[in-house]
Amino acid sequence: MLENVVTFAFDILSFTSVMVLIVLGLGVIASMMGIFNFAHGEFVLLGGYTAFLTQDAGLNPWWGIVLAPLIVGLIGLLLERSVIQKFYATPIIAMLGTYAIGLVIREIIRSLLGGHYKSVSEPWPGFFTVGRLDFSIWRTLIIAITVSVIIVSWLLLTKTAIGLRIRGSLENPMLARACGISTGQLYALTFAYGSALAGLAGALIVPLYQLSADMGLRFLVQGFLSVMLGGVGTFEGPVVGAAAVGALAASLPWLVLPVLADPLVFLIALAFVKVRPQGFVGKGRT
Amino acid sequence: MLNRSSAPRFGILPIVEAVTLAGILLAPFALWSRPELITLATNVLILALLGISFDLCWGYSGIMSFGQALFFGVAGYVVALVGRDLDFSPISGALPLAALSGLLLALAFAGFLLLGRKKPTNIFIALGTLTGSYAAERLVSGWQYVGAGNGLSAVKLLQIGPIQMVEGVPFYFLALVTLLVCYCGSRLLVRSQFGLVLAGIRQNEERLTFLGYRVQIYKTIIFSLAGMIAGIAGMLFTYHQGYIGPGNMGPGLSTTAVLYCLFGGAGTLIGPVLGTATIEVVSYILADIDRMKQIWPIILGIVLLAVVVFKPTGILGFFVSDRERIGSYGIRGGKQRRTKP
Amino acid sequence: MSQEYATQRQSGGVTRRRFLTGASALASAGWVAGSAGGWLLRPERASAATPIKVGIATDITGALAPFGNANWQVAQFVVTEINQQGNILGQPIELRLEDTASDPKVAIGNVRKLIQEYRADVVLGGITSAMRQAIKDPIVNRGRTLYIYPQLYEGQECTKHLYCTGPTPAQQCDELIPYLIKKQGRKRFAMPSANYVWPQLLNKYARKVIEAHGGEVVFEEYYPLDQPEYSATIAKIRVGKVDCVFNTIIPPGLQPFVKQLYESGFQRDGGMISCLYYDENLLNYHPAQEMDGLFSCLDYFQSIKDPFSEGLQERYNKMFPGTKYLFTAGVASTGMYRGIKFYEAAVKATNGDLSREAVSAAIDKATLASGPGGGAQMVPGKMHCKMNMYVARCKAEGNKTHYDIIGKYDMVDPKEC
Repeated sequence: MLENVVTFAFDILSFTSVMVLIVLGLGVIASMMGIFNFAHGEFVLLGGYTAFLTQDAGLNPWWGIVLAPLIVGLIGLLLERSVIQKFYATPIIAMLGTYAIGLVIREIIRSLLGGHYKSVSEPWPGFFTVGRLDFSIWRTLIIAITVSVIIVSWLLLTKTAIGLRIRGSLENPMLARACGISTGQLYALTFAYGSALAGLAGALIVPLYQLSADMGLRFLVQGFLSVMLGGVGTFEGPVVGAAAVGALAASLPWLVLPVLADPLVFLIALAFVKVRPQGFVGKGRT
Repeated sequence: MLNRSSAPRFGILPIVEAVTLAGILLAPFALWSRPELITLATNVLILALLGISFDLCWGYSGIMSFGQALFFGVAGYVVALVGRDLDFSPISGALPLAALSGLLLALAFAGFLLLGRKKPTNIFIALGTLTGSYAAERLVSGWQYVGAGNGLSAVKLLQIGPIQMVEGVPFYFLALVTLLVCYCGSRLLVRSQFGLVLAGIRQNEERLTFLGYRVQIYKTIIFSLAGMIAGIAGMLFTYHQGYIGPGNMGPGLSTTAVLYCLFGGAGTLIGPVLGTATIEVVSYILADIDRMKQIWPIILGIVLLAVVVFKPTGILGFFVSDRERIGSYGIRGGKQRRTKP
Repeated sequence: MSQEYATQRQSGGVTRRRFLTGASALASAGWVAGSAGGWLLRPERASAATPIKVGIATDITGALAPFGNANWQVAQFVVTEINQQGNILGQPIELRLEDTASDPKVAIGNVRKLIQEYRADVVLGGITSAMRQAIKDPIVNRGRTLYIYPQLYEGQECTKHLYCTGPTPAQQCDELIPYLIKKQGRKRFAMPSANYVWPQLLNKYARKVIEAHGGEVVFEEYYPLDQPEYSATIAKIRVGKVDCVFNTIIPPGLQPFVKQLYESGFQRDGGMISCLYYDENLLNYHPAQEMDGLFSCLDYFQSIKDPFSEGLQERYNKMFPGTKYLFTAGVASTGMYRGIKFYEAAVKATNGDLSREAVSAAIDKATLASGPGGGAQMVPGKMHCKMNMYVARCKAEGNKTHYDIIGKYDMVDPKEC
């Protein structure tokens, strides 16, 4: 009995940590600039694709994990400087614009993949045994990496000077600018950071879920809901939201028919947001 | 500030509409010997309805709906199921059924999203429609009764009187008539006093609320009507194609509708029709050229991006002045009236 | 999948696979990129006779791309051989390919092109039953064209003018399951399945056979085609002490499932898997060790040593050297071979009359003396054919797989319709 509980908890945890990584990036961008980045799923895809390319090039797969956030962060930065900063004034147009960007990225990768599904192997395959239970090494690593990323990000936000400036811009952009903080630079940095997180998430997930051009779409709607559920405007909000959605998605199939579980997660989340628009941990701009 | 002398004497839009109408009427005769092109043209007309449905939401009322395909798909599933389980497919029953499905579902959805104590943000509406569309797609993907991930095929043929409709010229004219009716109906609506309120909502929602209008009610009404039109489109699509699946219900098709509308020109009703025609025809032509086939979706994405960033008014924006897009209202609206842009 | 939103295509268009391997072979065999579209195999010899138009509708892209590409290559192989040996009564065969992209929504539009634009005399293709259900209406009803379906499936397809040349549940389960229960001592079965018609009807049949021989079905569950998480399933397998997993999950959900099952130590602890479409081609989806010990029952395996089959393989490999799409049974290529050969025999019997009624009547009685794994005989009036069946077990050798034949059963009756 205890075995089942432990396995269940581990499964939820590993599934959720993937969501958290993705949602963290999305939430950071939404909180900071007020736009929902519809291309976020495609940044995850780019991260996965980078991992695939490093494998294809014969390099050690760990390079994929390292390169993915760097490359995707860079791409995010370039996009932000060129196109995305035009959207900050109008969030709805931002959704359309980022959707278009996502479409372009997705179709480019689709043509590069030739419409096929590709397998990427885990840098550290296999499982380790504790007592009578087997735990996948890679999934454990994902949990570990996610936790570290959260801690590092939190430390960055609260303990560093730049973190202070970011929090200032979050709370009151006008005042921040008046104080001489270059919000433009911070936005660029934030967007790059969010994209890098997505890229990392992609590289981590792709050994589990296979690479295909439509990989990113799966996470997009869940990601948005998590952000809204958790509350836009804070750091903890998206994390809590992702944890909630992840837990819901992993546990519902045990309670109801799997057929219903999938859509039910979304409807429950949506209903919650409707009732409490500021989310779990909401404050700041909505 | 516009004054009379700078405004054009005649409108471009009616000309565009007339030309399009002529083109649509003549097409089957020009394409008589190419049945696959008639099929393509019919598809264009049906999808144009979906584009119009989105235009009513976004172009006229400022509701960003990423979920129009939800009503499209649900109506399609309803008629397919009715054909399969009840062996029923005469148009006298199927058309009202589809329209009603679209209408009621959209009404319920609008009620959930728009009405309530707190005013919903635009982001919430956009995400809410997206989520609804996605959740519905996941639901039917898993539900065996409606064919799960593989959808419903071999749909019972639509019957008009004693005739069973398959792809071809008769179906083309059915789609044509439906499009005309819906188009004229929508046009009347958006040029009426109701449409004037919608224009106000689109321009400045807060001001209109302060003037005493129950803005959310108006939005609900137009959203429901748009849902009804999407439902009718879904019904035609299902009977024409002989198939309906989760992919016809989800964010993919919804965002395609957005693309059709934005590309052609939002807020003009004829814009989505032209946008749909252009995109679908080019897709079809390029489908057979191997190299282009891979690049075309990329080009489409770039085009959409360009439209969003540089020319939000779409293709028609090149021809139609802003003045005319905003339009004139009321029964005496034939002449240009002095209204503030 | 697909079944994600914003699926591969919006409407009316599809990515065509580039032929990276065997391109030179194709060019020498007379391939041209069709002007009207698709890939056209024009017959080599200039001939005054109008060609026989054969349409192939299979998954070149998408989750089932390895299956579809194998089908397509085999079709080219068979038709090239027929044309080289003098065509069918002097009429060369012309092939046109349309990609069904593992997505019924897209497939319908493309198949319609085969009928309306290309006016094919016969269409072969479809892999999953869902695809067959989607495209059979445009082909058989609206298109009034002959349709041959080459893949193993769940049976009960008795539509007129639709012939099935792949194995049926009776052919696959009637020997395999008793073997697993009696000779391998398996008693507790799990049925993780993809949520569509093939697993549903197949499981019904398999359950009957299992229970008739004293086995027990511990659970039977259905998942969306693209489900990536199977921890709940694997937990149920462990808790229920399942000793044989009768798998009907298909790509794209297949790879995560098999990987997660393998990593949970199921095979290491003595569990066995059986999957009815597994053959040598599945290396395109998994590393070899994840398939080690798996049981399958098909109409052909490459390890069968009969001269005709070996000759076929040799000539196929010469035409497509180094290809990763092998001529195997689980991916419908043997069914494709049979389908085209049956069509050839039927047209010879009707003396060149290509009308659907005539050819259909002739196929109904057709027989093939030889083929991969043995010949085949259409059962008159039953739309299905008898063929040899083999039960085999997969053995991984390094990063290759090899199927050891355990039993051979001659001319098994399909027991359909």
